[in-house]
Amino acid sequence: MNAPAFSFSAALPELFLSLSGLALLLFGALTGEKSYRRVAALALIALLVAAVLVLFGAGARSVEFGGLFVVDGFGAFMKALVLLGAALGIVLSLDYNRREELERFEFPVLIVFATVGMMLMISASDLISLYLGLELQSLALYVMAAFRRDSVKSTEAGLKYFVLGALSSGMLLYGASLIYGFTGSTNFAAIAGAVSGVVKSGAPVPLGVLFGVVFVLAALAFKVSAAPFHMWTPDVYEGAPTPVTAFFAVAPKVAATALLVRVLIEPFGAIAPQWQQVVWLVAVLSMIVGAFAAIWQTNVKRLMAYSSIGHVGYALVGLVAGGPGGVSAIALYMAIYLFMNIAAFSVILGMRVQGRAVERIGDLAGLSRTHPLVAAALAVAMFAMAGIPPLAGFFSKFYIFDAAVRGGHYVLAVVGVLTSVFGAFYYLRIVKLMYFDEATETLDRPFPASLGAVLAGATLFTFFFFLAPGPLVRAANAAAASLFPG
Amino acid sequence: MIQAIAFYLFAGVMIASAVMVVSARNPVHSVLFLILAFFNAAALFVLLGAEFLAMILVVVYVGAVAVLFLFVVMMLDINFALLREGFMRYLPVGGAVGLVLLAELVFVGMAWIDAAGSAQLRAAPMHGGVDNTRALGRLIYTHYALVFQASGLVLLVAMIGAIVLTLRQRPGVKRQDIGRQLSRTRDTGVEIVKIKPRTGV
Amino acid sequence: MKTLALLAVFLPLAGFALAGLPIVAGRKGHGVDRWAQLATSICVGVAALASMSLFWSVGLGHQPTSFELFTWIDSGAFEASWAIKLDALSVVMLCVVTIVSTCVHVYSIGYMSHDPAIPRFMAYLSLFTFFMLMLVTADNFVQMFFGWEGVGLASYLLIGFWYDRESANAASIKAFVVNRVGDFGFALGIFGVFMMFGSVHFDTVFAAAPDHVGDQISFLWFEGHALTILCLLLFVGAMGKSAQLGLHTWLPDAMEGPTPVSALIHAATMVTAGVFMVARLSPMFELAPAALHSVCIVGALTAIFAASVGLVQNDIKRVIAYSTCSQLGYMFFAAGVSAYSAAIFHLMTHAFFKALLFLGSGSVIHALEGEQDMRRMGGLGPKIRITYWMMMIGSLALAGIGIPFVFGLAGFYSKDIILESAFAAHSGPGAFAFWLGIAAAGMTAFYSWRLLFMTFSGHARGDHHAHEHAHESPAVMLVPLYVLAVGAVFAGVLGYEYFVGHHREAFWGAAIKVLPEHDSVEHAHHVPVWVKVLPLVVSVAGIGMSYGLYIRNPAKPAELAARFAGLYRFLLNKWWFDELYDRIFVRPSFALGMGFWKKGDAAVIDGLGADGLAANTLVAARRMSALQTGYVYHYAFAMLIGVVAFATWYFVSR
Repeated sequence: MNAPAFSFSAALPELFLSLSGLALLLFGALTGEKSYRRVAALALIALLVAAVLVLFGAGARSVEFGGLFVVDGFGAFMKALVLLGAALGIVLSLDYNRREELERFEFPVLIVFATVGMMLMISASDLISLYLGLELQSLALYVMAAFRRDSVKSTEAGLKYFVLGALSSGMLLYGASLIYGFTGSTNFAAIAGAVSGVVKSGAPVPLGVLFGVVFVLAALAFKVSAAPFHMWTPDVYEGAPTPVTAFFAVAPKVAATALLVRVLIEPFGAIAPQWQQVVWLVAVLSMIVGAFAAIWQTNVKRLMAYSSIGHVGYALVGLVAGGPGGVSAIALYMAIYLFMNIAAFSVILGMRVQGRAVERIGDLAGLSRTHPLVAAALAVAMFAMAGIPPLAGFFSKFYIFDAAVRGGHYVLAVVGVLTSVFGAFYYLRIVKLMYFDEATETLDRPFPASLGAVLAGATLFTFFFFLAPGPLVRAANAAAASLFPG
Repeated sequence: MIQAIAFYLFAGVMIASAVMVVSARNPVHSVLFLILAFFNAAALFVLLGAEFLAMILVVVYVGAVAVLFLFVVMMLDINFALLREGFMRYLPVGGAVGLVLLAELVFVGMAWIDAAGSAQLRAAPMHGGVDNTRALGRLIYTHYALVFQASGLVLLVAMIGAIVLTLRQRPGVKRQDIGRQLSRTRDTGVEIVKIKPRTGV
Repeated sequence: MKTLALLAVFLPLAGFALAGLPIVAGRKGHGVDRWAQLATSICVGVAALASMSLFWSVGLGHQPTSFELFTWIDSGAFEASWAIKLDALSVVMLCVVTIVSTCVHVYSIGYMSHDPAIPRFMAYLSLFTFFMLMLVTADNFVQMFFGWEGVGLASYLLIGFWYDRESANAASIKAFVVNRVGDFGFALGIFGVFMMFGSVHFDTVFAAAPDHVGDQISFLWFEGHALTILCLLLFVGAMGKSAQLGLHTWLPDAMEGPTPVSALIHAATMVTAGVFMVARLSPMFELAPAALHSVCIVGALTAIFAASVGLVQNDIKRVIAYSTCSQLGYMFFAAGVSAYSAAIFHLMTHAFFKALLFLGSGSVIHALEGEQDMRRMGGLGPKIRITYWMMMIGSLALAGIGIPFVFGLAGFYSKDIILESAFAAHSGPGAFAFWLGIAAAGMTAFYSWRLLFMTFSGHARGDHHAHEHAHESPAVMLVPLYVLAVGAVFAGVLGYEYFVGHHREAFWGAAIKVLPEHDSVEHAHHVPVWVKVLPLVVSVAGIGMSYGLYIRNPAKPAELAARFAGLYRFLLNKWWFDELYDRIFVRPSFALGMGFWKKGDAAVIDGLGADGLAANTLVAARRMSALQTGYVYHYAFAMLIGVVAFATWYFVSR
């Protein structure tokens, strides 16, 4: 048995980031507790360097490491988003962690390792590498959710996430073993060959495969927090420290969505009509839950949790629509979602009354009078999330529904539009609070500079996206095309 | 024939002990039944010719994990009866859902269809004279090197997590710092004070 | 060149942002005011310098060019980009807009010095300038429409700048709504163009236009010549923006805005956008003679209508507003006889002298602490001598006074070439326009001098105290007047050869297309001498009459008004257009709207739909949140149920 020739350069960003993580861990352990700021800065640099490596390495599709690892345009696009999200997550955490005395160097290190896991997920082309990437990411996230170990809420969040995450991992493994039993391989290409062989022969798709797909799908739906596997999301988002919530809402969401897309399209593309039925239902349920359950929330982090559930529902619509058009719409959706969420969370992280962090929605009342710029930026983010033109959020929804209509999924598009309308209610309620209600307690001034800078950047992107949607749309199209060779 | 008997014996005992893990009143008994289940699973692995996995199961799960459970259960003194209070209340719905799933899985298992050619893919060719452990080692360090490294990272993260969540620097605890001990000199350790007679310190 | 163009177009936007930032940040105070004034003025000033440099290289150097900044919309066959098109037409407009805008910015520093919202005002002015520049440099219909709507927005904001005045709010809404009617036509026109040519890019459309001369399209219930219908729809847009007869009613009311706004937007630049559009689209209009005739007739009617109303108005700004309306009519009928170059020439000269007149009248209003009624003025000449002379220059230029074949003020050249072209077109509409134009020229001279005499001569009729304290404006307001006065004096003689004289073909290049058989400007140089002299004679006669009525015999006007009471009221009430519209459109729509609101919306839609739905939504939302119990095993159970449900679905559906 000869060792296969490995092309390490294909996984250069991942290798670089893992080694950086190890080095940062050593550095932090040697310099002690005071090193948080330096470790965070170095982690930020490492993430950005990895993003550069990803973008420069983007090229033709190639499968490496004996079929475990795939490099393609789709992966590069999604990895770039994940790295950007992780980097912004670190920037957003700086101020909050300083004030809340969470300045421990393990925080950025965990973000780095979680990001490595996400990149591995995105590049997985084998059920085994898929599972390991997922676990690497999840384990780091469980710890991060419980990072404020002296807070009951935070530890509860971590534990809940961990227990339910373990359940979903179990489902994933069960589904994977069913699939392995059917095809005799864990490799995506081999699975695809076996599945399309059955479909071509005209025989009905074996129930075992469908069960396997359902289990895998359920596990991944848990990771992207799609209904009915979403129940952990509000509790964990509320309980985890706010910077962790911000990170949760961005990077893992993008990575898990990418993984879901890849798993369903690469190995199981041939039975798309079958899995689309389930994804259809998941998308509809998520959109409905996202639109309705958020309405009574009073905690802004819970609200964002439901908002993210709704957004995942919209993204999944693109998966039902299928084809390069649908996938490109998803890629675009996740990119814009990232910016909108970063903007929203940079405001939430800056919410403080007399030095202590607050997270009730009512605390935003009268923001326009004390912080006019911040209020305007949050209003832009909320309008964008509600999908109001000409903001970026409108375009992301537009491309999704356009793909759905092209695919003939009119019901889905109608449900999507209706739930957008209902969802707009709670987004606009925040705008109303900020602009028309009187504050009982005003938020502190000044707004932290690091949050302000991120907020400004994200808001400008959301606001002016309509001027030049071209580059991003083209990138998303190219990314989607790489999933459909030939 | 003997193989079949052994299989059903081990499998039957395993399922029975798994049920006992859930239903035993005494938590220590639960853990002991868990250990029994592990042993039977190891025996099943042996029957399949996977002696390496069997040994790993015994060493890791029985030797480390289950014993750890035992310690935890005995030290924490959790009232498991209280935890199981809702058991009967949820049993009808939960049981129904479980039964549906079980029935479906049984049906799927009975009507199992393989994809064409999967038998070739699945059949791990045993090279002559290469035993199980050696073959696994070869695969893990060559073909699956990437995921092997990744699982290393997973374990590292688990370790970081355990430290992050539990390690505390308590003030007031005296620790030995060898570096400081060794770098002490006479000048830093001894202060010579000249005291005039009859003045006190 | 690209850098220059980017500077010229985007510096005003930068000025807007710089002046707007403190407002958004909630800062106030003298320093912020000063910052906003300086930032916007310098930005626009530099843009003006860049524009002049572009005029030198593109206009006089004959190097038309265009470059794409980036793609804006790319959806299937529909493609539009952000681009800057530089040819003779757009650089002329660039210069006009930026120069007048600079003058107005500087002037506003003095004029608005006591206003509490200076940064907002300066920011709006710069924003307007930016949109106007986007409009004139557009290389496709969609970008043009963007600028078109943008200037409409800025105009709305500026007319209603003093939003605590009810009349200002009403005027801004009126301007917006009337413009919307025109924009509807414009938008339909763009849709039609895209439908017919499959592109909204100017060059593509113009190149393809000759192939579509014979096309027919059906629009609404009738079928017609495709290009004619498109051009008419587009012209409706131009009518709205340029206040042509029928859609003109907003312009006089727009004088509720601060005077610098009237000078910049409602005299020199925005209202001429319609003329610019017709000239820009000359390759299409040339192929639709029927549309051209309509343009010509509407223009001529507007010219005479507005001039006649201007005869009797008493508000100093309204007189000038009607004069603007009338001059726009001139430009349109020039375009209607294919004398696009003459129309743009007049647009350019008009921008200078009309901005001069407006800013001068602003100076008068400033001197009298806000008085606008000419009946309460008089005798101001010695008090504010410089303003008086500036207004005199502006009026002379407007009336088109000059010595034939020697030298004349700006209007002398541009108005005469328009009238000569109309005569030389030798067509029915041309002759119609020519004679109405001659009559309007007489009226123009009459009301200009009426304005001068009523304001500056005689004795003070108004508040004695205000008159006593009338004072000359500060230098910051006078310098822009000088600049504009130089333009009003020399723009005609300097531009004549390039715009409409011997160099015109080289100057315009491909920017304006005129079919050889339509070349009325060429024929205009060969008209009989009486045609060339007649406008001047009429104007001088108008001045004489005005002198006779308001200086020699001041009691006479009232006597005339009494004798021809019907005619007088007809003119004073602006031909009863507003009343007519109120009766036909406004009140029925109000009634309809009330009906829909009370019965349809409140009772049916709210009752069954929105309110009922909202209540049900809240109930559903509460139920859904109740599912969230917080127990891990509930969550885990929900997940399992989900899996089982999906698995069962396949089990059953197969």
